[in-house]
Amino acid sequence: MVKRKLPKIEIFLIVFILFIALLFLTFYIWYQAELIRIGLENQRIQEQINQLEEDIKRLEVLRSSLLSPERVEKIAREYLNLTEPDPGQIIYEELFTGFKK
Amino acid sequence: MKNQNSKQLPKRNLIVTIGLVLWFLLILGRLVELQVFKHAQLKNEAIDQNRYLREIWPTRGTIRDCQGKILAQSLSVPSLFLARGKNEENSSLLEKITALKSLIPLSSREWQRIRNRIDNGDRFIWIKRKISWEDCEKVKQAKIPGIFVQMESKRFYPLGAHLAHVLGGVDIDDRGLSGVEYKYNNFLQGKKGRILILRDALHRKYDLEVIEPAQPGQDLILTIDSNIQYIAERELEKAIFENQACWGTVIVSRPSTGEILAMASYPDYDPNNFATAEPSALINRAIQENFEPGSAFKLILAAAALELKPDIFHRTYDCSIGYFSIGGLSIRDHRRFNLLSFPEVFIHSSNVGAIQVALEIGRDYLYSWIKKFGLGEKTGIDLPGEETGILRPPNSWTVHTLPYLAIGYEISVTAIQLLQVINAIANQGLLFPPRILKSLEGPEGIQKLPSSPPVRILSSYVAREITDNILAKVVDLGTGKAAAIDGFPPAGKTGTAQKYDPWLKTYSSSRHRSIFIGFAPFDKPAISIVVVIDEPKAGRYYGGEVAAPVFREIGRRVLLYLGEIPRFKPEKITLASSENWRNHHQP
Repeated sequence: MVKRKLPKIEIFLIVFILFIALLFLTFYIWYQAELIRIGLENQRIQEQINQLEEDIKRLEVLRSSLLSPERVEKIAREYLNLTEPDPGQIIYEELFTGFKK
Repeated sequence: MKNQNSKQLPKRNLIVTIGLVLWFLLILGRLVELQVFKHAQLKNEAIDQNRYLREIWPTRGTIRDCQGKILAQSLSVPSLFLARGKNEENSSLLEKITALKSLIPLSSREWQRIRNRIDNGDRFIWIKRKISWEDCEKVKQAKIPGIFVQMESKRFYPLGAHLAHVLGGVDIDDRGLSGVEYKYNNFLQGKKGRILILRDALHRKYDLEVIEPAQPGQDLILTIDSNIQYIAERELEKAIFENQACWGTVIVSRPSTGEILAMASYPDYDPNNFATAEPSALINRAIQENFEPGSAFKLILAAAALELKPDIFHRTYDCSIGYFSIGGLSIRDHRRFNLLSFPEVFIHSSNVGAIQVALEIGRDYLYSWIKKFGLGEKTGIDLPGEETGILRPPNSWTVHTLPYLAIGYEISVTAIQLLQVINAIANQGLLFPPRILKSLEGPEGIQKLPSSPPVRILSSYVAREITDNILAKVVDLGTGKAAAIDGFPPAGKTGTAQKYDPWLKTYSSSRHRSIFIGFAPFDKPAISIVVVIDEPKAGRYYGGEVAAPVFREIGRRVLLYLGEIPRFKPEKITLASSENWRNHHQP
């Protein structure tokens, strides 16, 4: 049996094809990994957005609760010692410009 | 030796070749089995492993008042559930729940429910829904296997019991059960969507594919102003306690549109704890309570009489005897009068005079006017469970019905019906149906709801006559003096009704209902108010003594809040400030 010596060009072609195949394979794996990584990042950001939106809602509810007229009146009366004027006494200065003669 | 070896070699080669071929065939057969015969099943299994099809629950719409203040909003909260492992014994599940019991409060009822579900062999069991974030954190840290957290939506009412009856409440699944939550549930709840979640080997989400987008619920903007609502609720509660009354209701509206600015009902409840509210507290007394209106009904009688006979205005009625007898029935005045003119009959709320007017116009005519004002049928307010009131047809009336009707008995109305009546007078004869919803807000923007077209039920002349010469004078000279508002002259009518005692089968002399209906300022009404206080027990019971002061206080504060300009400059001007408080209260 006589061993045939491969010509250099054939070796080069085989190595080149193998290299290209490896390159494609590497690229494909990298692409898949990157896709998943970006997907995960996207999900993380989306969850963060959802969480922040939820926090905004929660704060809006809290603000509404803190600004409830009952609470405001309680603070006005108990902490600021404000009191209501006697009946018949108008307390809004802005109105005085529009009195009927 | 060489020959023997050369013979053995092909044989060995053959065995190895056959082995390799068999091995190859085995692999090929397995591949065919997996790729061809079990293809569909395995594909589904693979999809199940990394893909999850989930329903997306839409966010329930927010409810706001006319100023945009949040009245009800849904927020995400954690819920705990137990998932049974493969072939997991009941005892193991019970151990987990016992461990959990030391972390979060579980009532004996909840414990029993979980036990029953475990005994039934259920694979998915809710442990506790909509728990606090603190409790959730405790459970997460305990890392009990088989116990998971799922996010759900919970309704929050930041103002607590404020406006409870209008808002209503929701069940554990956020479905409306009463109030606008129930009435507009379809708008609020939105539409469920579907989403495909792709996960990696570590079960981390890396891609979402929306198959059917969820449509969030629309936001409701109510005609209610939470500041006016607060004023109404506070004054109502004060009146209830001062008069030791059973229940009460106040409605404040803008007569020119029929928009309800406030609707208070006492007793109330906290919609955040709807499930535990007392059944009697759930009743919205403004629309769900029928009662006899007493003298407040005389307003309709006056309108009907003036429409039929405009010259009746100049007639006088002899009320000097102090009582009216018909068919063995004797109806008395609250005090002795002499000759009263037509307006004076109503200004002083004379029963004897009113009965004479009613007999003069007749039952069929009065009945037709009662119907015109919408009594005996729903006003159509956009709240569930509205009562119609009780109005019997004339063919079932007895000899006593007409005189009784003239003074507001043998007919039942709701507070919202009385509001509709007073609004028709305030609007110079035009009736605007009352409404609660102002607009809807969704992804497409704000959708304003047009108010229903007004219906003329009364001539503007008669409405003006009643306003200027009767209702305004009720407050100036008559039974409603306590309703007078400094700077904003109101018009209104008092009502006091004895309550019917079903045991004694007669009207009680110790149980009353006090009513005041009116609007202010009388010449250009900005607001109309109905006040009903049931069974005041602190000595006073007349509408002019119990309900009229509530009208005055609410009217005064609401008109100033709305920026209405007083009709005259008050003598004293005091600024509310801590400085003034110190000057007044410190020696």
